[in-house]
Amino acid sequence: MAETFAIEGGGLTRRYGGFTALDAVDLAVPDGEIRGLIGPNGAGKSTLIDVLSGRADDWQGSVRLRGADISRLSAQQRRRSGLARSFQRTNVFPELAVREQLEVASWRAETPNVDEVLHEMGLAAIAHMRAADVSYGDRRRLDLALALIGRPTVLLLDEPAAGLSMKESMALAELLRDLASRWKVTVLLVEHDMDVVFSICHRITVLHLGRVLAEGTPAEIRSIPEVVTAYLGSAVE
Amino acid sequence: MSRQAESSALAAAPPGAAPARWTWSVLAAALAAGALLPQVVTSTLAITLLTQAVIGGILATAVGLLIRQAGLVSFGHAAFFGLAGYFIALPARHGLWPAEVSIVLAVAAPTLLAFLLGLVIVRIPGVAFSMLTLAIGQAFHEFALRAREITGGEDGFAISLPRALYGVPTEIFQRPQSMFVIAWVALVVILFGLHLLTRTRFGRVTAAIRENEERARFLGYQTVVPRALVFALSALIGAVAGTLFALYNAFVSPEMLHWSLSGSALIMAIVGGTKLLWGPALGGVVFFFFKDLAGDLTEHWPAMIGLTLIVVTVALPLGIGGALVRLLQRLRPAGGRTHG
Ligand SMILES: Nc1ncnc2c1ncn2[C@@H]1O[C@H](COP(=O)(O)OP(=O)(O)O)[C@@H](O)[C@H]1O
Ligand SMILES: [Mg+2]
Repeated sequence: MAETFAIEGGGLTRRYGGFTALDAVDLAVPDGEIRGLIGPNGAGKSTLIDVLSGRADDWQGSVRLRGADISRLSAQQRRRSGLARSFQRTNVFPELAVREQLEVASWRAETPNVDEVLHEMGLAAIAHMRAADVSYGDRRRLDLALALIGRPTVLLLDEPAAGLSMKESMALAELLRDLASRWKVTVLLVEHDMDVVFSICHRITVLHLGRVLAEGTPAEIRSIPEVVTAYLGSAVE
Repeated sequence: MSRQAESSALAAAPPGAAPARWTWSVLAAALAAGALLPQVVTSTLAITLLTQAVIGGILATAVGLLIRQAGLVSFGHAAFFGLAGYFIALPARHGLWPAEVSIVLAVAAPTLLAFLLGLVIVRIPGVAFSMLTLAIGQAFHEFALRAREITGGEDGFAISLPRALYGVPTEIFQRPQSMFVIAWVALVVILFGLHLLTRTRFGRVTAAIRENEERARFLGYQTVVPRALVFALSALIGAVAGTLFALYNAFVSPEMLHWSLSGSALIMAIVGGTKLLWGPALGGVVFFFFKDLAGDLTEHWPAMIGLTLIVVTVALPLGIGGALVRLLQRLRPAGGRTHG
């Protein structure tokens, strides 16, 4: 019997005019796994997240969530089926208070876990503040918190630690690993910080020029010379 | 105070909280003030101006609501105002059905129309949306001008109303003293209703959609219908203003549909301050008095209004209402200290 994956993309292709940003990518992440998605700038990582989450409007292929075909579902329908995402560029509600926007998110979720998320993400103390008035780091965590409302089954994270300090990035990574195992969330994590990726990901997919270059455990990925020379080079000493 | 802190103070309303006791006191005081005003202001000219100003304030509230709750700027709200007028005038002229039915239709039909239009046009962002509303508004205006057989063309016509509407003598709607009270009560009830609405889930969700439509979708929200509903609600309020105007004047003309009225309503809303619920209504009152004053001084009053708009938007980005709130906030801590 074929294994059912938490999230599965088949033949995912996305073109911008004549340029192919994503070229027949296959990806299957089993339940409970934290999958790293790495690759140089412009490799197509964000595009892949967009296609999986329903942000792209013109693409080919299929997307399955726990075996169910969600290719035709809109972004909001995918979210309601348990597929949540965060954004590379902070994407929150600037004029709304932190708690208020988490509440808005919770009204669409079966498990309205606002207090839990506020607490886990360390946002409780600033819950009353407008998102526009909180620090950059808090806003990044708010972006992630919005995705965590309702304890989604699959979480697509596009560089959640972008712009954070090394210390903050590692703390966020620990938190993610911890939440993923406690809440049984499957995570697809795009991240530039290789320390983060290699420390918390069970497996890693390497994307290059819109294609899958390699896939394997952190140890396997480290041992592929072409991956290392392609771009890991300085990141993994 | 920083601009950010300032605007957050203006938006302040704890999520999900029940309306505070003071809101009921404000409501009672506002209603009482409206009822007493005609007793105090004996000049018919002044009360006529006030009545126009309050009706204008209702239209401005409609335009302001759309900005505040959906981030959409309408250049065509005269369409809903004017349609309401014609929905009262035309059935009366052709003897189609009782005026009471027309009044209900005058409010309901523009609302429904706006909802259906909204399902299409709220998807169009920014200036393009504004241009579309302008075009739609002008289409109605053009139709009213051209279809002389039906609408009487540019001259308009007097509305023949029965002697009583819903058992209320019709002259009540036409005397400025009593119409002022009716319009005022309508305005206060609308503002209060909107105040309650912003605290509901619908109010919160539409605010979120205004803030960041894309993220709202990625949180599981369908975002077109809520915005179309806000557009419809805004049209409803515009239609109430048009209904009051038509009853008051017992007259309709294509001017009720003209873009310059849409533009004036937008100016009122911006001058008063769109971040505040009551800002546009305040802007409406200021607008009418300013227009009257400027009209006495110079025939170039539209230029004066344009100039004032520029000054207000540059000097008071939160409008006159926002400036008032800031003033009160400055005074309050000082007052607190004197009381120890
Ligand atoms: N809206 C767009 N229009 C045209 N090209 C785009 C667009 N978005 C992304 N691209 C291109 O697609 C490629 C993949 O982009 P992206 O998925 O953002 O890469 P990554 O996230 O891996 O850095 C890049 O070459 C980028 O320039
Ligand atoms: Mg990217």
